[in-house]
Amino acid sequence: MNIKITYKWLLDYLATDASAYELQKYLSLCGPSVETVEKVGDDYVLDIEITSNRVDMASVYGIAQEALAILPQFGKSAKIMLNPLDKYRLNFVTRELGAELPLHVKIENQHLVSRFTTVILDNVTVGPSPEFMKKRLEQCDVRSINNVVDISNYLMLSLGQPTHMFDYDKIGKATMILRESKQGEKITTLDGKEFELPGADIVIEDGDGNLIDLCGIMGGQNSAVTEDTKRVVLFVQTYDKVRIRRTSMTTGQRSMAATYFEKDLDEERVIPTLVYGLELLEHHANARQASPLQDIYPDPSPTKTVTISAAEIRKVMGVELEDDRIAMILENLGFEVKNFAGNYEITVPSWRKNDIALKEDIVEEVARVYGYHNLPNTIQPTVYVKQPKELDLLFHYQLKIKDLLKNVGLHEVMNYSMISKELIDTLGYSDQEHLFLTNTISEEIKYLRRSLLPSFVKIMKENEGRRENLKYFEIAKTYIPRKTGLPAEEFCLAIGVNTSFWDLKGILDLLIDELHIENVTVRNGTNPLFADNMQGEMVTGNKVLGTFGKLKPVYKDRVELTKDIYLAELAFTPFIEKAKLLPTYVPPIAYSVIKLDLTLQQSKNLGYAELEALAYKTSYLLRSVELIDRYNDKLTLRFYFGATDRNITEGDAKMELARINTLLKS
Amino acid sequence: MKDIENLLTTFRDRLHGIQSLHDLEQLTIAYLGRQGVVNDHMQKLKDLAPDEKKEFGKRMNEAKKHIEIALQEKKSAIMARDESEHTVDITLPGTAYPRGSLHLVTYAVEEITRIFSRLGFIRVTYPEVEWEYFAFDSLNMPKNHPGRDDFETFFVNGAPDPNYGKMIMSPHTSSGQVREMMRVKQPPIRMISIGKCYRPNWSTKHVPMFHQFESLCVDRGINITNLKGTIDYFVKEFFGEHRETRLRPHHFQFTEPSFEVDITCDVCGGSGEIDGAKCKVCKQGWLELAGAGMVHPNVLKEGGINPDEYSGWAFAFGLERIMMMKEGLKLDDMRVLYSGDIRFLEQF
Repeated sequence: MNIKITYKWLLDYLATDASAYELQKYLSLCGPSVETVEKVGDDYVLDIEITSNRVDMASVYGIAQEALAILPQFGKSAKIMLNPLDKYRLNFVTRELGAELPLHVKIENQHLVSRFTTVILDNVTVGPSPEFMKKRLEQCDVRSINNVVDISNYLMLSLGQPTHMFDYDKIGKATMILRESKQGEKITTLDGKEFELPGADIVIEDGDGNLIDLCGIMGGQNSAVTEDTKRVVLFVQTYDKVRIRRTSMTTGQRSMAATYFEKDLDEERVIPTLVYGLELLEHHANARQASPLQDIYPDPSPTKTVTISAAEIRKVMGVELEDDRIAMILENLGFEVKNFAGNYEITVPSWRKNDIALKEDIVEEVARVYGYHNLPNTIQPTVYVKQPKELDLLFHYQLKIKDLLKNVGLHEVMNYSMISKELIDTLGYSDQEHLFLTNTISEEIKYLRRSLLPSFVKIMKENEGRRENLKYFEIAKTYIPRKTGLPAEEFCLAIGVNTSFWDLKGILDLLIDELHIENVTVRNGTNPLFADNMQGEMVTGNKVLGTFGKLKPVYKDRVELTKDIYLAELAFTPFIEKAKLLPTYVPPIAYSVIKLDLTLQQSKNLGYAELEALAYKTSYLLRSVELIDRYNDKLTLRFYFGATDRNITEGDAKMELARINTLLKS
Repeated sequence: MKDIENLLTTFRDRLHGIQSLHDLEQLTIAYLGRQGVVNDHMQKLKDLAPDEKKEFGKRMNEAKKHIEIALQEKKSAIMARDESEHTVDITLPGTAYPRGSLHLVTYAVEEITRIFSRLGFIRVTYPEVEWEYFAFDSLNMPKNHPGRDDFETFFVNGAPDPNYGKMIMSPHTSSGQVREMMRVKQPPIRMISIGKCYRPNWSTKHVPMFHQFESLCVDRGINITNLKGTIDYFVKEFFGEHRETRLRPHHFQFTEPSFEVDITCDVCGGSGEIDGAKCKVCKQGWLELAGAGMVHPNVLKEGGINPDEYSGWAFAFGLERIMMMKEGLKLDDMRVLYSGDIRFLEQF
């Protein structure tokens, strides 16, 4: 959360010779990050980021407490001028009460509210706020409404404890029942918004059965202070933070009060806030206390202590820091420090009880105020740690394959790991087989991919027309659900082109060649995503490495692609398991090699792979075969003949080719 | 002797008509080859009277010399002419080779891996679909921590595990910290893990899938100065020697102390001002870069490592963020990274 305070407001509590800009610099280095300082009139507005563990700093006085410890580290003076925790104690209230107005409080579940305090004031004059208050609030982005509401906000910014003001006369039967809401109950908050509650929210019901407060979030409209209000209840509480956050998030009502209450507030600051509020209402709204303070606090938090030695602090910081300096830093932060010969017994102040528990927490306090910028940069000693071989290979081949594909003109894409149900349905998959996000923020990204190919269909449709030729690849995980446990996360390589089936096949051939994967064969495939007549599986041994093919016309039609697209998907790990850095060396033939071309009619009965195999079987002089041209259903092949022990003649080669040709025709 | 005159005249005529090096080569062979005109003429020597022989021989040698020089000169002339006449428009494009592209994230991943391998850090990968235990509980994040709720974390419909809790999409790479401790069992740990993370956010600055880059170092005697040193080394390698870093206090559940890492702004050079006006990119010369800290003792304990004996640091960078902060890239919308738009992808 971020808060805004003004420099002059801070000076009410803290005497210092540090300027607003110096405060920004020094606080940011050692404490809360002051994101901006803006000069407004004769004052400066500081915008400060407060981390979730340090809500105790989220106020003018909270910043004063931090500055007290930090500024002296930079040679700046710092002294607390006004300590509201000391000043606004219960005994500060010594007024004679006139009429004692009743307020019947019933708390159904004490876990909802760790401290509950109220005081009633009468004779209230609702009107404009005093100038200083109005100006400060507006500088800090809080709209001025009237003196009563403004005092409530002024208290929150001053001390970091939200408060609420009820119109006493609008509380039915002067009764408050603090309880959990039931699902479906309705309340209209101060800002006129009506909410149907999810249930188990903290609410207050009055004696007439009306909900008058959505606790910690915003008060009810029915009990709000208006111009006609004469009597108010000043109301200061600390709530169960988890419920506050839940209610605030589910209703979308992110009020400033909620951002405080959803963190751990200090119960010890409740009374000072109430008493200070009483003073402000008396001074600026002409009010008169009309009831005793009611304080329900059955279970006060115990005081915490942490024990640590100076040596332990120095060890983690990596520098020599004197004992006195350590003690001074901690004391300025509000800790009580007892030094027993280098062993500190440290008492944690109430406002830090939720974030300080361990030695490490103490080290952090000392180190940050000393200044991380004062610590040297020292890289730790390098040691040998073995990388698991399979990871080494995984990353090595990912890069190798990426570079290869890039260098032959493919574009690497990274798609979301989740796809839509619509895409799953369109492409004939079943959503039942996919894991899905139960709280997705968009239907576009709901189902975890089992295959990378649906994403390819999507992006190739979206990019059709942007470029004539589209050639994509992606290496990413797929998520295959298992009966129990986490899904199998397997890296896959997918390729998609809109050029031709042979272009795709050529890329796959190149991959196999580059990685020296041996004994790869292809056979007709059965992937339902692909056209029946144009798809295959790459196989080595009994292992299917992957499938490739043309997108089935029915799907092409459904997604309204103009051009055919050709897709391939390989399981990455099995694929690279067969890869080799180097192939087996074949010495060049020392004798003549005769090349002869032959044009053949393609045959339905004899595939090219079989044809090639048959040719090798027929002629032991055959060294290699190349497909050099294809035209309609005619193939032109180039045969290379040669012997390893003698020169052969062209006649020898022609005879070999004739034998092959005869066999192929038969 | 008249023959020699005729021979030279014919030669000059033929030479005159020659335009190419190829034709010149043919003429050279025709005159100076083994069976060429000159050698052929020499045959006449044996039929001459002795007093004529000497003169003929001398004249033939002169003629041969003359031919050789003429051929050489012609060759030089043709070469010179070829160079001067056949000018080439070198501004025409060359033969087109296919040029593909790698995703920006790949470049960053490789760069980071390279930089850290020099410090002896190994790269690992851990599940993206994770148990709550590894993403939260083992990282000292209590059950009611806001980061664990529906608004910060994606939940997955898979059956929960009795020990590890619900199935989620890992919202950070830190889920790998305790997994790595369990894997190595015994420090030293020097790890980087770069992976996809998921959070329910979608805007120019946030995408529901993004990458983080995590580093974890656990050993005897690891202190804050080591974390500072390593971050400073990385930043100078990745962004340049002129960039400075600083650590500021921050808060994370799984580190104690926790820091935010800032880097000097490249737009204003770290001054916070451009021509007297406030720099719009940074905060007083600094940009937030990453979260870091000393590994929380509870996290070490979860990983089976004794916090009294060992200590460690950890940090996590948003990969997209540090990439977008690279000088000169000028990419300001994160959503385009995962849009598949070819007009974006092909540029890298």
